[in-house]
Amino acid sequence: MGMEDDILKDFLAESKENLELLDQQFVELEEDPENEELIKSIFRTIHTIKGTSGFFGFTTLEGIAHFAEDILSKLRDGLVKVNEDITTVLLQSVDYIKAILAELEATGKEPVDTEYLDFIVDLRNFAEKIAKEAGVKDEQKEKGETEKEEASEQKEAKEIDKKEEENGEDKKEEERLKKEQDETKQTESKDSIKKKDDKKPSSKPVRKAPPTTAHLTESHVRIDVHLLDQLMTLAGELVLSRNRLTQLANQLNDPEFLTANQRMSLVVTELQERIMKTRMQPIGNVFNKFPRIVRDLAKAAEKKVQLRIEGAETELDRSIIESIKDPLTHMVRNSIDHGIESPDIRVQKQKPPVGTLVMKAYHEGGQVIIEIVDDGAGIDPNKIRQKAVEKGLLTEEQAEALSEREALMLIFQPGFSTAEKVTNISGRGVGMDVVKTNIEKLGGTIELNSEKDVGTTIKIKIPLTLAIIPALIITSGGQRYAIPQVNLVELVHLNPKLVERDVQKIGNSEFYRLRGEILPLVRLRKVLGFQEDEEEKNSSEGMNIVVLNAGGHLFGLVVDSISDSEEIVVKPLGSHLKHIPIFAGTTLMGDGKVALILDVVGITSSATAGEEGMKETTIVTGKDGEEDHQFLLLCTIGPNEYFALPLALVNRLDKIKASDIEYVGGKEVVQYRGHSMPIIRLENYLPISPLPEQDEYHLIVFHMNEKDIAFMVSEIDDSLDLAIDVEEGTFKQEGILGSAIIKERTTLFLDVYQIISMHDPDFFIQDDVTGIETARILLAEDSTFYRNLLSSYLTGAGYEVLEAEDGAKAWELFQTEHIDLVITDIEMPKMNGFDLTRKIRNESNNKDVPIIAVTSLSGEENRQKGLEAGVDDYQAKLDRDQVLSSVATLLKEKSLANAA
Amino acid sequence: MVQENNNLPVEGEKNLVEMSISDTSQFVTFHYGKHFFGLPIDDVIEINKALDITPVPMAPEYVSGVVNLRGQILTAIDLAKRIGLSAKDFKVSEKKELHNVIMGNREEPVSLLVEEIGDVMSIPKDKISPPPDMIEGINLKYVDQVCKLESRLLIILDSKSLEQAENNKNQGN
Repeated sequence: MGMEDDILKDFLAESKENLELLDQQFVELEEDPENEELIKSIFRTIHTIKGTSGFFGFTTLEGIAHFAEDILSKLRDGLVKVNEDITTVLLQSVDYIKAILAELEATGKEPVDTEYLDFIVDLRNFAEKIAKEAGVKDEQKEKGETEKEEASEQKEAKEIDKKEEENGEDKKEEERLKKEQDETKQTESKDSIKKKDDKKPSSKPVRKAPPTTAHLTESHVRIDVHLLDQLMTLAGELVLSRNRLTQLANQLNDPEFLTANQRMSLVVTELQERIMKTRMQPIGNVFNKFPRIVRDLAKAAEKKVQLRIEGAETELDRSIIESIKDPLTHMVRNSIDHGIESPDIRVQKQKPPVGTLVMKAYHEGGQVIIEIVDDGAGIDPNKIRQKAVEKGLLTEEQAEALSEREALMLIFQPGFSTAEKVTNISGRGVGMDVVKTNIEKLGGTIELNSEKDVGTTIKIKIPLTLAIIPALIITSGGQRYAIPQVNLVELVHLNPKLVERDVQKIGNSEFYRLRGEILPLVRLRKVLGFQEDEEEKNSSEGMNIVVLNAGGHLFGLVVDSISDSEEIVVKPLGSHLKHIPIFAGTTLMGDGKVALILDVVGITSSATAGEEGMKETTIVTGKDGEEDHQFLLLCTIGPNEYFALPLALVNRLDKIKASDIEYVGGKEVVQYRGHSMPIIRLENYLPISPLPEQDEYHLIVFHMNEKDIAFMVSEIDDSLDLAIDVEEGTFKQEGILGSAIIKERTTLFLDVYQIISMHDPDFFIQDDVTGIETARILLAEDSTFYRNLLSSYLTGAGYEVLEAEDGAKAWELFQTEHIDLVITDIEMPKMNGFDLTRKIRNESNNKDVPIIAVTSLSGEENRQKGLEAGVDDYQAKLDRDQVLSSVATLLKEKSLANAA
Repeated sequence: MVQENNNLPVEGEKNLVEMSISDTSQFVTFHYGKHFFGLPIDDVIEINKALDITPVPMAPEYVSGVVNLRGQILTAIDLAKRIGLSAKDFKVSEKKELHNVIMGNREEPVSLLVEEIGDVMSIPKDKISPPPDMIEGINLKYVDQVCKLESRLLIILDSKSLEQAENNKNQGN
């Protein structure tokens, strides 16, 4: 109800302004009867009043507006000329409308008085008279039209149907109105005697004047937004002054002063909150424009769409509301134009002919989430791939290599439009990229989910306000910087020992191993252009890493020190500084000094750009949350052999001199950290050209099963973040998982586990695994690369592995085969890991089978979801030791349970 | 009316009152190195002796950083670097605090950093002339007019080009 009250208030305030204007416009119109613009403007005002009063069910008001609009429409169409009679009647209508509005404002109800009804009747008669006059002129016109219509009747039966519908509606409306009038009259006649006393109309004769003088009190005023912004600035300054005063008060320790200051503090805080509040507006202000937009769009596209709006009362900073309107419109257009199917196709698909479009807004964790959900055709990733190739954005191979999620993200690329034909609604090749940019400018993110024939969901997350945000204050190079809390994932402090152990430098990029995942590091000092002279400082003081999320992509920002988290007031940078991508704005700190706000997304792009100069080091960023993304380590043997392996498997990189290699028992070893570590020459196990003689070799060191072992290669080439999609056909052989084209070179993916097993068949034998009889593991994983990798180390550990490339296949196998344990990926086509788990838990006859979900990313959200679905454990795919120990534990538990 | 032409701050102030406004222009004057500058008084919002400058990494070279002026954050532009004075033309010790001439439009003023604030001077309009073809060490783009005083040249700066951001066209948006 509160919402409706707000709308009513807005409506009253707006109508009042417009009506004041109307008086003037009518007078102008009399002087300049031909002025079309003026008539249109008047028409619009009346039309709005009619519409809104209809919405609230104010029938009297609607009636007056309706007939006034009738008359105006004749004027607008040039069928009748303005004369004094018409102006008089219209002005009277305005007066009556004002009177009703005044009553509405006072009581929230329409006045009940026959006088209004009499006026409606008079007005109606007058409108009919005008219509008749107009009819004379209109007749010829209409005749022509009817003839035309008759001619095309059979062809365009549809259209005529529509017209009839509309006529019918009109009639219905008239009937309803009459009925209502009659009803009111009846009730009125009873009440009127009582009522007449307390509400005496100023004059009785209907045509002369309305019952109450239109005295509208102002409860709303319009204020220049600029003024509000200034107030906000001043309030911020007031807070700072207050802080200083509080400090002083504490020093002086004068009780009276302290009390006075405390009082002032409260007021200042409240003042600030109120001023903030003036900037907040319900998102309904934007949403309520959509019923109309949707209707028009649906009509133009010959589709049937029902719009549902949820959470219109959700409040947002006005500046954001302004800026999301266009992106929203665009997305709604897309949904109607590309998403929702035409009624006959929907019926074929066994969906209701009327499509549903939901616009939803809600608060979540200090952010506002806006969702646009349609139950349309969804987006077909193949179609997008195809389009991308056609448009020359990608080569065919590249397009094939994209995962479904990545393919979907393509629609945010500039110059991309999937509409089969260009319509006047959308498909002009501009759009979603602009939408994305605009949302990101607001500090928001955009997510797209789509399922073919089920529908599309677009989820936008935007900050509640741009004016005051929570932020983390950090220091780098002696200056303080603020990092918006929305981007913050976690804080990590590494002592020098851990830095030594877990921070990896490859080329010019650094990585940190955060719980088994590879986190690229960006040094803020470097980004800010300070000299890099703190290599030694690291070792003495350790390292502070702020783990940040830049649009789904995690990275660690290395800073000098981390201070508090604070609410900061965001102030823009001046025009000389706006272009610097790494800053999002400035803020004032408690001591009155300025701190710069870091733009997290800007930092990643600037870090990437900075590295372009150093050739061979490319970190492909921004592939949002893609599951099969992995950091790969690229290395070479000799000039022509290129290899890749997951960086996550690598423990360290090192160099050794050729002279350091020793031979023990026919195998090569090297002294490494106090142990002798076996080293493997890949050419011994793979059909490749041998490692050429070098003075110095690079070692890729693995730490598995509590032991170190290393591959020896010529060069460590690069590290790369990309989606792994390997071809297994061409190079399928022992020790190779497959191949892929990386940087225009055929690169072989090494099966690290298998190669190690080939070198030392006993390497992976664990004491506690022996003795367990061979268990059968069902492995559901859609990526060939990971399936081979997992299968390789599971088989290596002595298990029998059944492979399935998706959830549905796995479910089939599960029902027919005896399975001791299931390992499943989460994101899979046809049936995802969660669904598979639920199916096994609920529908199978082997409900208690242990299930391990594996992922290349670990997200708390997914973990939670997995546990809810009934997963026993949750592991990172590449963490062989963890996965194996989890398998062993679960199998042991199960056999114990069975025994019991 | 010759005495207006001297550049001694104190006297300049006295004369200010006596001058008739129609045939003179008023300038806020300041020093940087050996040069003597002026800005039309209408372009100057206020003078602030010392504001804390927060450096902005990656900023254009002429931007020293940002300052807080009663809650409004302004870009601080170093006059010397902006107009191309080379280091030998001014010897400001690093520790010395520069003064802020807050100038430009009220929507987005900038703070022009100068070495020393001079005085407000009234100068007869007929004493003001267009700049010469060359002033040593100064980019003439930023010079609007000059006025020959008895002992030195008053360089009247063009506030528009001073506050105009250069890199906005290609990098903004």
